[in-house]
Amino acid sequence: MPTVEISHISKSFGTLKAVDDVSFDVEKGEIFGLLGPNGAGKTTAIRVLLDIFKPDSGSISVLGGSMTEAKKDRIGYMPEERGMYQDIPLDRCLIYLSTLKGLTTMEARSRMTEYLERFDLASSRSKKVKELSKGMQQKAQLITTLIHKPELVIIDEPFSGLDPINTQMVKDLLREQRDQGVTILMSTHQMHQVEELCDRIVLIDHGRTVLYGSLDEIRRQFSGHAVLVRTPDALPALPGVESTKQHNSSAYRLNLSPSTKSQDVLRNLVDRGIQVDQFEIAAPTLDEIFIQVVTANDLQQGERP
Amino acid sequence: MTKFWYIAWHEYSRHVFRKRFIFALLSVPFFLTLTVALVILIVWMQSDPTPIGYIDRSNLLANPLPQPAVKFPERNVSMLAYMDEASANADLQAGKIQAYYLVPKDYLETGQVEVIFLKELNGIAAQQFNSFLTTNLLLNQPPEIANRLLEGNELVVQSMDKSREASQNRFINIIFPMVAGIIFIVGMSTSSGYLMQAVVEEKENRTMEIMVTSVSPNQLMSGKVIADIVIGVTQLLVWTIFLLLVLVIGKNYFSFLSGFQLSGEIIAIILAVMIPAFIMISGLMAAVGATVSEASEGQQMMGLFTLPIWLPYILIAVFIQNPNSPLAIGMSLFPLTAPMTIALRIGFTTIPTWQVIASVVILVLSAIGAVWLAGRAFRLGMLRYGQRLRLKEIFSHQEV
Repeated sequence: MPTVEISHISKSFGTLKAVDDVSFDVEKGEIFGLLGPNGAGKTTAIRVLLDIFKPDSGSISVLGGSMTEAKKDRIGYMPEERGMYQDIPLDRCLIYLSTLKGLTTMEARSRMTEYLERFDLASSRSKKVKELSKGMQQKAQLITTLIHKPELVIIDEPFSGLDPINTQMVKDLLREQRDQGVTILMSTHQMHQVEELCDRIVLIDHGRTVLYGSLDEIRRQFSGHAVLVRTPDALPALPGVESTKQHNSSAYRLNLSPSTKSQDVLRNLVDRGIQVDQFEIAAPTLDEIFIQVVTANDLQQGERP
Repeated sequence: MTKFWYIAWHEYSRHVFRKRFIFALLSVPFFLTLTVALVILIVWMQSDPTPIGYIDRSNLLANPLPQPAVKFPERNVSMLAYMDEASANADLQAGKIQAYYLVPKDYLETGQVEVIFLKELNGIAAQQFNSFLTTNLLLNQPPEIANRLLEGNELVVQSMDKSREASQNRFINIIFPMVAGIIFIVGMSTSSGYLMQAVVEEKENRTMEIMVTSVSPNQLMSGKVIADIVIGVTQLLVWTIFLLLVLVIGKNYFSFLSGFQLSGEIIAIILAVMIPAFIMISGLMAAVGATVSEASEGQQMMGLFTLPIWLPYILIAVFIQNPNSPLAIGMSLFPLTAPMTIALRIGFTTIPTWQVIASVVILVLSAIGAVWLAGRAFRLGMLRYGQRLRLKEIFSHQEV
């Protein structure tokens, strides 16, 4: 049974339809990517899922049913709008927010100490939150998201404001959580992070679902019928190849005719004595898919040229 | 339920242990003490203990008794007898006495005395000489008559049904409900201000989303409101204890405090009015906090409520003249003006029971309404960052 089941939800604010008939499931123990350009409706979808907003239509099931007060303790949420009490010491802020997630003060204190050490914040525990750097506050926010050992983590832009070392640490942490069986729903713009971490994604634009499925499946779907060949030699005309384009300084993109198989092209290259350093199916990056899908959708909506 | 207490304790401790709060809490007693101390110091400095001389030609002060001792901070002045003006003048020039009186032979007929000074004699010293003279004039009278004449009369004004009375000496009993009312309103305004600030701060800090995905909006709001009321009570308790200390201790030193009596009825009415008023104001402030997006904007909106709350204070002269005028009755029933109006009127008149009951009922209903309004404004406005919630939206049929 999926941890989250979103089924045909819609939500409008006045005349603006922020979410329009969106459906997706998040399976237990996966890292799921919720993607979309700015203003696509990601945050609204998350807020509807968390019962902050009531949907106009559609149904939501979280952790096996509708949202309840008790379930709030089993969910960790890191919103896009980061928020901590600025005027109180870090440890007091963390303990307070942890107790609101059902921990006792004692439990909160001992778990907080572990996390502060792991996140290299132990020496800053008595400092006021406003005295911490943006990156440190970001890490503190992550602690509040994870300290109560949630079963479902919903996290909006987890890497913003982090340097490469901390980015790596957060990535490791998310993988570790997944390995422990925690379900993670992650919303981000950083496509390479999604490629690295997510098992499945949903892409929404203008409030509607435009892509949904496993990452591999989606990339295959967008790969077209082409291969990439890296070679120091000049490429001759090959049978079954409709056109050849320079991909970068040492690689070519070969667009194949519908009946041609990639193995035939490789055999032809080898038979002609051409040095092949690299040969792969030309799968687009998630970035390229994102831009392609969103631009096409915009054209359809008549927004951008 | 536990989360509710965590919220209430967090809000309470966050405000109460702040330097700003402690400063505000102690500043009222501090400035009151300072004022009283200054008054005492001024009186003490004004009352010059240098002796006063007298030349008695009437023979009324042949074997004089000293005048009754004055109370601190006034200082006793001793009276020195002189035989003639030359020796008295010499001592006056030498600064050994601050003035001397000449009681003429025909004093009993004319009632005239002469006073000779270099620097004008102050009232406190002159009063003591009068008292010295009177004491010795009454020497042959029975003590109870002498005392009555020395202490003077107390004028008591009584209502027709004898349920209320007032006197000069018990002036403090009129002032007490007024002071208690003002203290209550100052206390509730400041602590409600903290509540509004706490709600806006949650929006400014962007902690709201974390909060509402951890606790229910009702737990959050009721935790905050309870904390606010306890903050207000803490403040009032400290001030009340201080005020009672002043009254109890001051009774021994200041004659105008000596008639002070705590009236159970007045205290009950003040509490019955102030408690729902407190909840109502808290609710309104929380609603303002939920509606606006910045604390400064909230301060401006607070003014809208503060003005009617203090309006009766501005009209105090009207209430003293006629505490049962239609204006006074109307303002006792309008929820925002009721707390102060009742506190002002109660000292000067017996407020009819129906008015007290009507006022309390209206305040209780207003308190319920204000809390409902706060809850609704909060649910609609909690995630509006940088955008104010309009009044129309709060009252619309929009689902929250």
